[in-house]
Parts: sequence; C-alpha cells; structure tokens
Amino acid sequence: MIKMRDDGFRPKQVLIEKEADLQKDATDLSLFVRTSDEEIKKWDRNKITEALLRETDISEDAAKIIAREVEKLIFSLNIENVTAPLIRELTNAKLIEYGLEHIRRQHTRLGVPLYDAREIIINHNKENANVPHGPEATNLTLAERIKKEFALIEVFSQDVADAHMRGDIHLHDLGMIDRPYCSGQNIEYVKKFGLNLPNAISIARPAKHPEVLIEQIIKFSAALQGTFAGAIGWDAFNIFLAPYLVGVDNTRMKQLAQILIYEFAQQAVARGGQSIFSDINLYWECPKHFEDVPAIGPGGKLTGNTYSDYMDEAQRFLKALFEVYYEGDALGRPFFFPKPNVHITEKFFTTEGHEDFLYLISKVASEKGNTYYVFDRGDTAKISECCRLAFQLRESDLEDAKQPWKMRYSAMQNVTVNLPRIAYEAKGDDTRLFEILRERVELVAKAHLQKKAFISKLLNLGKNGPLALLAMELDGEPYYRMHRATFLLGMLGLNEMVQAHTGEELHESNDAFFFGLKVISTMKKLADEMEEKYGIHMPLEQTPAESTAYRLAMLDMKHYPLQATAVVKGDKNRGEIYYTNSTYMNISVPISSIERVKKDGKFHPLIEAGALTHVWLGEHKPAPESIANFVEKTFKNTQNAQIAFSPEFTSCLDCGKVVRGLNENCIYCGSDNIEGITRVTGFFSKINSWNKGKIGELKDRYRDKAI
Amino acid sequence: MFNIKGFIKTSLVDWDGKITSVIFLPNCNFRCPFCHNKELVLNPNEFENISIEEIDSFLLENKDFVDGVVITGGEPTLHKNLPELCKHFKEMGLLVKIDTNGSNPEMLKHLIDQKLIDYVAMDIKAPLSNVKKYCNSTGLEEVNIENIKKSIDILRKSDIDFEFRTTVVPTLHTAEDIAEISRFVGQESKLILQNFTPRNTLNNEFTRIKPYEREELKRMAEIVKGYVKDIKVRG
Repeated sequence: MIKMRDDGFRPKQVLIEKEADLQKDATDLSLFVRTSDEEIKKWDRNKITEALLRETDISEDAAKIIAREVEKLIFSLNIENVTAPLIRELTNAKLIEYGLEHIRRQHTRLGVPLYDAREIIINHNKENANVPHGPEATNLTLAERIKKEFALIEVFSQDVADAHMRGDIHLHDLGMIDRPYCSGQNIEYVKKFGLNLPNAISIARPAKHPEVLIEQIIKFSAALQGTFAGAIGWDAFNIFLAPYLVGVDNTRMKQLAQILIYEFAQQAVARGGQSIFSDINLYWECPKHFEDVPAIGPGGKLTGNTYSDYMDEAQRFLKALFEVYYEGDALGRPFFFPKPNVHITEKFFTTEGHEDFLYLISKVASEKGNTYYVFDRGDTAKISECCRLAFQLRESDLEDAKQPWKMRYSAMQNVTVNLPRIAYEAKGDDTRLFEILRERVELVAKAHLQKKAFISKLLNLGKNGPLALLAMELDGEPYYRMHRATFLLGMLGLNEMVQAHTGEELHESNDAFFFGLKVISTMKKLADEMEEKYGIHMPLEQTPAESTAYRLAMLDMKHYPLQATAVVKGDKNRGEIYYTNSTYMNISVPISSIERVKKDGKFHPLIEAGALTHVWLGEHKPAPESIANFVEKTFKNTQNAQIAFSPEFTSCLDCGKVVRGLNENCIYCGSDNIEGITRVTGFFSKINSWNKGKIGELKDRYRDKAI
Repeated sequence: MFNIKGFIKTSLVDWDGKITSVIFLPNCNFRCPFCHNKELVLNPNEFENISIEEIDSFLLENKDFVDGVVITGGEPTLHKNLPELCKHFKEMGLLVKIDTNGSNPEMLKHLIDQKLIDYVAMDIKAPLSNVKKYCNSTGLEEVNIENIKKSIDILRKSDIDFEFRTTVVPTLHTAEDIAEISRFVGQESKLILQNFTPRNTLNNEFTRIKPYEREELKRMAEIVKGYVKDIKVRG
C-alpha cells in the first residue's frame, strides 16, 4: 500500500494555479451527482480533488490519486446517481486507507442521518425543558447538532473534545459554540442609548415613557438571547426603572408590571420557540453602590437626582410586580419567566416597610413559588446578574457603578467536572483522587481558553461578524467586555463521588460531609491557581445539570458499570437515572429543610456562581409568615446564598383548573389531559418536557411531609 | 416513656408564622371518614416508637430555627402523660402547640392552667346543634357534644392563642353549616376552613368525592366574615 505524506499548508496563489491545471483532466462520464446545492451535476472527478485541496493540507499529487481511487470505486458499483455526502464519505474511507487521518479530519462532513432528522422534526427534544416542540425548535436542534460537531472538531483540541465525549467533563451548550454563555447587564444601557442595534431595520431613540422603555428592554433581551446561550439578566431592575415612574398611580403601576411579566413570559416565539430565559434582580432597599449615582430619566436625560431619591417609585413598582406574580397567568399558574431574584442585604432589615414586603413576596413563594431570595450578607457590595453569575464588586466595578450602563458582565462558558468518575479512577486512593481532580480542572481551564480564543475571533470581525451585537460600541467600548468575562467551573455528583470514595453519602456521616467540603475547597483553590496561571477568572458554580446529570450517569454506567451501579441514583430498570446535582445531598432521603439549608450553605461561600437551595413544598402551602420567618433565620443563622420554595401543580387542560400537588388525573373533572408543573433545576417548566433523568429525580424528590 | 409514633423535623404549615417540629401520638377516639392519618388511628402499633432522645437531639441542634413543637395525632389528649411531654419541651425553651378534637376538656383545661401550652388548634367537625351531622363527620354512633362545647368555652375564656378548624367536605358540609359553626364559635374566635383532599382517606369511599373548589371555600368564608374575629381558607 502506498503511504503518502501531508505537505503542510500552501499559499492560496498556488491553489488557484493548480485548479486551472486540473480542469484539463476532467472525465466526462454519464454519472450524475446530487449535490448539496440542490442541483444534479454530471460526474466530475476533479470536484473531489478541488475539495481536498480547498479544505485540507493534502498535496496535489495525493489529492489526484485519492480522487482517481474514489472514481474507480464508484464506477465499479454500477450506479446512476450518487449523492455528494456519499462521495465525501467514500473519499474519507480512501483517506483512512492511505493513512491520511489528519486530512480526513479536515475533510469531515457534518450533518445528521435521515433517521435522526425525521426523529427530530417529528418528536420532542427533551434536553432543555424550556424548548417546546415546533419547527423553530427543531431548526434549533438540527443547527445545534451541526454546531456541536463543529465545536468538537474545530474549536476544541482533541484531548478536550475526547474528555467531553468520554464524559470526564461536560462542555455545556456546545450547540451554541458561537455565543458566550450568559449575560447580565443594566437597563441603563437601553435608557441611555435607546434601541439601536446593529443590522436593525429601524432605530429607536431613548424611551420617554415607561411602557416604551419596558418594551425596548424586552426586545433587547430577545436580541441578546440571539447572541448568548443562556440566561439574560437585568440588575437592580426596579431601582433603574424608578425615574420613569414618577407620578404613575397604582393602577398604571400594576399594568406596567403586567406588561413586563407577560411580555417576558409569552415571548415563546424567539430563538427555537423558547421563552427568553430571563432574570430580573430586585431590591426593596437602594443598594449602597447605587445610592449616589445620578439618575437617568425619560428621554435618556439626567434628572438631576440620584437613585436613592426614587425609592418610593421603586418600591411601589416592586409591590405591583409581586401582585402580578401572585395572581399568576390566566389559569392561575405560576409565570415561568422572568425569574424574580429579590436581594436581601443587611440594609433590608432596617429599611422601612420591609416586614410587609417580606410578607408579600413570601405569600407569592407559598402560593406560586416564584420568589428567589438572594442573600447578600456583609458590607461588601455584591452583584448577581443572572442566575449563574454573582460576584463581589471589585474596585474597578465600583468605579463602573457610577456609570451603570457599563456594568455588563458575562460568563463565557460553563464546563462541568464529572466528580464520581474521579472517585472510580482513584480506586480509593486519596492522593490519586486529588491528582485527577487537578488534571480535570486544568483541562477545564484549557477548554475555556479555547472557547475564549474562538469567541474573540468572532468578536474581532466587528460589525460584519456574527456577533455584531456584542461588538457594538455605543459607549466607546464593545458591548461584550471580554476583560470582565468569567469562566465557570461546575461540578456534578459530589454526593456520589464521596459515596464511591468513602462508602458513605454526604448526609450519612460527618466524615463524609467534611470530605465533600474538602473536595470543593480544593476545586476552589485549583480554580484560583488557574486564574494566576492563565488570567481567566474561574468561579465555581453549581451546574444546573438539566441534561448533564443524566448524560454523565449514563456514560459512567457504560464505562464504569461496577462502580457506577453502586452509587447512581434513580430507577435503573427504567433507565431514569441521574447523579445528584452539584454539591447537593441525596434528594430522596428525609433531610429536613433546616438541615439542608444549613448544610448546603456550608458550600455556598466557596461557590460564587449560582448556589441555591430548594425547599420542595410539594402540595403544601405554608403561611407566608412562616416562610418569612424561615427566610430571616436563613439570612441570619446560615451562610446559605440563595433559597427558593418550590411547589408542584397539576393544571387541567380540559376544565382549566389548577391544583397543588402532582396528580395523575384532574381531581375535579377526572381528565388525564393534564400538565404537571414544578421546578426543574432552577426554573419552572412542564414535566412532560423533562428528560428521563429528571423524571427519575422528580420521583425520588423528598418533600418534607408537612413543610 | 412517651409513646411517639411520628416526627417531622421541619414544618412551616402547622403553626402560622412559626417554624415547628411535629410530633405524632397514636390512637384516636374519632373515626372521621376524611382523616388522612388513618394508619395512626387504626393500626398505631405498626409504627416504630421514636425515642425522645432522637427528637431532643434535633431540637437542640436546631434551636436557631425551630420556634416550637406541635403535638398532634391521633388525638394527643387521650394520653395521660401529655402534660409531661409538653413540660419537657417547655423546659427546653420551646413553644408548644397541640391539635385536638376537643373531646377531653379536662385535659385541655389542665394544660392551659399549668401553662404547658401556647397554642391550640381545635377541630370542629360539624355544626354543634346537629348531633347527627357530628356523628357523620366523626364516624361514630354517638358523640358527646357537651364535651366539645366545654372545650370551645375553655379556649374562649383562656388567655392563650387558639384557632378552630373545620375540614370542609362536600356531602358532609354546606355553606349553611359553615355559617352555623361560625356563629357558634363567635366573635372571639379565629376559624380556619381547610380544604379536603380525596387521598388516603380513612373511609375509602371518600377518595371519590370531588373537593370544593378553593373559590367556593373563599365564598363561604366571605359570607361568615362578620361572625368571627378572623376567617381563613387553608390548602
């Protein structure tokens, strides 16, 4: 067999000359090729040579030989029609035969088999519970399939890609490789610059009325959703909206709150038919770092006052907002989006009216579950831009706070480490376990640098590039502030890792729990080292692991069947298996909410991004005063960073009634045409859209009997 | 030795405004067909005893969260050593609430007089003027209504906080029954209407009953607002 060597890169000039040469060799035969350009063309062997020379580093001689070989093969098959993808794969087969693996890789074709395309177009994709089924959604799924393959071949080095495919780590949102992960910003940008987006057909000046401002914000959110993979968050929403609300009476205030919530909740027409995954951050008190900031009012003009002068309006809007959450949608169901994150700082408890407000949001928590309580303890200013991104403001951020439109933050990417697998590989050896942990964190840092390089390349294409929106420079610097981007280091299955390594789950002994703490604090230390080494800020985050908890459990059952079987959670017979999310304790054992909030909370100071404890309410509806009591004690007596109370609902699509608890039939009309609604990881969704792993988790979920 | 059959570490639903732990005592002298704790009523011996040490250890460790203990059942006042149990928790600095059906006024009075409890939730199963209805709701041939009335009176005259509760079940209760209960308990009282859930009921037949809609209960509450100090719909 002939072995050929790659020649390496050639200048394009040479390529062109060669192409002219090749035309002479054209073989004219009556074989037809169905091309990807929706044309049927006559067979032309040179097309193969051209493609090889255009796309790969192959030498001209080698390309010609390969093309001739492929032609020989095809003619020997005695067929009238071949498709371009088939020719490409036959070419790839020849490249392998000749030992040209490197060339084959460059010559890869991305796409999906007919069977898969049919499945995707007809059946529901359940990877993300926020994606409904429909042509827009399947467009997204198909596109993501190709971009995912592209990412693994082109953006990441082979060791990183292989680690993902093996399941050592999980690279999130690969199908959205050409976007950063999530984005948190400030409505000041919209107030100051209006809606002036690159490639827009029309441009709007800064809003003069609150209705218009809200609509501009929603449209901007939709545009941002088109350039980010995950959540779009807005900081201190009610504080910055307030200058527009002077003189607005309570009726109109409520209407404005309804516009905001319904517009966000019903935008299921944007990307992939998804709602905008949106977070609004809210304050009863004026956060210290915004107190003296000059307020921007109608028309984008300075009002001459500061934000602390508008607290009456900010608070009245906040109350109206929660009244709307309390009512729910037309059927009385909870709104899924936007997620309201209420920040509680030390100042909260000394701000007038906080008791009544705490009662109101706790009433919403009990009735509908919407409220997220975010605890910002101590005197350091903290910011939580979207659900996955919270951090203490550094000196430079406090400088930015004086011009809040500059406060734009983003997590570039989220990569999760499969913790149980490390335990399997370490085989009970402590030292080995921490060595492997280090290797994995190194690998995550490498993956982040590669994504950063790719996104930087796209951003550098500026206003003609795919990320024109993020490259716009209305305030003199690009919208996407690369120097403030963070790179998330997530974890999955701490509980199963500890169980596999020590024989006990986190809740089963103090030793097991402290070992878990040691793992997470080591991860934190390693992440800090990476920051030193590579200059990327890598905060730990509790991975939401909507599909990852299932995927990695499945992969470990395949690669480490003995060890994984012993610790994996869920129903193995039905394939409804999962690893416990992030640093959580086993969700099926009766651990009281008090113990969960306290013990989970011990991890939270180590986890800067997206730490949250769920209190599963099930069908119970506590008195708001009891919830308020629980919240205040959590703030004062624990280190827990964030809690939410999660109820369950059954919504009947026949009689329209909504009741608490998950039932198989409507308790009123008996219909089984029902939708179960509760939280998956961090947000509300319909259960019928959940993947198998999450269904297994839901069945296991322990609800305090009476909480 | 306390005969404790159930322990819920954290509850936000058993005492408005408070975070509590709940303790279940076995046996009951009523057989309410809609009861959800039927195992505790019918076959209490199938439950393991829970040691007071286990309960104490949780309470001591979590005193920064737990405000008080709710003693429920079954019917806790059937237990002669209930005062000691209450005292045990009071001495730990915890608040104590009991749930009762009001059939044991002597015990109730003793607990209040000795300052062993801070809150009482008493069930009123049906209008007190209608013995037949009371029997239907409690699943008994005979009910000593006088004892129930005495308990109501003791609570109204006491200086501790209390609430009356009625689980509202279609086929057992009408809006008029609720009105009558309200008039009877009167201006000093808080009345809670609890919605019935057709699941795991003592009388199996009751799983087939459709509960009142929440709006319906709210309407009932609205009608009788003037008769009582406060009325709420729960569940």
